[in-house]
Amino acid sequence: MPYTTFNRNEFDTFEQPMFFGEQVNVARYDQQKHKIFENLIEKQLSFFWRPEEVDLTNDRKDFLDLPDHEKHIFVSNLKYQTLLDSVQGRSPNVALLPVVSLPELETWIETWSFSETIHSRSYTHIVRNIVPNPSVIFDDITRNEFITRRAESVTRYYDDFIYLSNYYIQLGEGTHRINDEIVEVNLHELKRRMYLMLVSVNVLEAIRFYVSFACSFAFAERAKMEGNAKIIKLIARDEALHLTGTQHMLQIMARGKDDPEFAEIAEECKDDVIRIFTEAAVQEKEWAEYLFKDGSMIGLNKDILCQYVEYITNQRIGALGFDRIFTSRSNPLPWINSWLNSDNVQVAPQESEISSYLVGAIDSEVDTNDLGDFDL
Amino acid sequence: MPAPAQGHYRSGLAPEQDTTTFELDGGLTDAQPDFELEALVAEPALGPAQTELWLPDTDPEHPQPSPQLELDGMAPPLYHIRLDDGREARFQHAANLLSSLEAQNIDVHFQCREGYCGSCRAQLLDGEVHYAEEPMAWLNEGEILLCCCIPRSNLHIRLQD
Repeated sequence: MPYTTFNRNEFDTFEQPMFFGEQVNVARYDQQKHKIFENLIEKQLSFFWRPEEVDLTNDRKDFLDLPDHEKHIFVSNLKYQTLLDSVQGRSPNVALLPVVSLPELETWIETWSFSETIHSRSYTHIVRNIVPNPSVIFDDITRNEFITRRAESVTRYYDDFIYLSNYYIQLGEGTHRINDEIVEVNLHELKRRMYLMLVSVNVLEAIRFYVSFACSFAFAERAKMEGNAKIIKLIARDEALHLTGTQHMLQIMARGKDDPEFAEIAEECKDDVIRIFTEAAVQEKEWAEYLFKDGSMIGLNKDILCQYVEYITNQRIGALGFDRIFTSRSNPLPWINSWLNSDNVQVAPQESEISSYLVGAIDSEVDTNDLGDFDL
Repeated sequence: MPAPAQGHYRSGLAPEQDTTTFELDGGLTDAQPDFELEALVAEPALGPAQTELWLPDTDPEHPQPSPQLELDGMAPPLYHIRLDDGREARFQHAANLLSSLEAQNIDVHFQCREGYCGSCRAQLLDGEVHYAEEPMAWLNEGEILLCCCIPRSNLHIRLQD
């Protein structure tokens, strides 16, 4: 069944699974099978922000003053974040939209990806502020072998799924001969790849991002690169929401709530889930080693970051109903909570550092003392 | 003639009653306004940024305006919270279970405090809770989200480790 942008069939939305059912037609939200996705969309919209709202002028000065090994930590971390959001800004759309069957889920996927593009734009905003030539940083993302190794593990499950799903959309199930290559398209295998892909997305959002957030906040904890941390706070708030979205998809699947076949797949893939989480933790630890290869920074070193990787991996796999992988229990970076807490995020433009609101501004606070030498 | 709107005049008085004299030239010798364009003292060094962040300066378990229903002349009901590791707490005035536990030195994982991240999920072993707003995070059977619920009975809970 080739993809159509407007499915003419008439069908009952409530009968449709999240994916691989009827293709969507009317983008209507009056009847919703999974209302949570509508709630997520509304929450995400209420989070809207723009990178330019955050003033980064002090970061430039801070960055120039950082010792070389800390510059390495900061820039490498930023490259990794850029890579992750480059992937997340397009992949959910490319992978999931062609096979989605519920309009509210379709819109959530679009909203989700869109907010990742804001994150990508904010990295450019940061890079422009800290170095005269942004290409030095961006070009290295595809050249540096440590970063490309990260890219391989981040994109593998996406690419595996998209490869097969493209054939499925064009040719349907069966054994196809394409350019002298035999391609076996089987819906069960496709669903399995989708499930593993969502697990790997969950790992990306729930572990990989948080490790990078820890580095960004560690600078700000010492009152360095605070503008950057402010942006990362906004990103972290969005990611916490995306994480919830992905957890919902995975749990709805695992419970067979709309497609019993996915429940079987979730059962089959239990070992794979543990493997994906464990692999990610190992990769993040290797990354920590690369970050701190020339020296640690005050408040964060390789060991603490590795402990944080274990802690956050335990937390996230626990949220999916699995047992802990590592023995560590407590959060080695307790201060990170106050950075991740959205109460601290200023959203209204007049509250944040948007400069246009400050032009010609006066101090409007009047105290009785101000009128002290005022005679009538 | 209608009285001019108040606030047009700095003294707040009608013009005929306004005895304040403004001298444009040289009249302000001893009453210079008390401000400086630049602070004379250096700004204090920036402390760790965390001090600007959310640190509760009130005790949520102390009576203060709360989202709980106001009952005239009656204190909100007092509930007993028992953790499965043996620790105990009480809940009466707090806005949610999370801040109540924190105020009683029981550390709980948290992040968003708004019900969408799911960091503070806990097992409800016994009792009943109420959500003022439906939480968005995924909750398994028997799990509660501490940041957005209040007890409706005595509780027995298990925190995530």
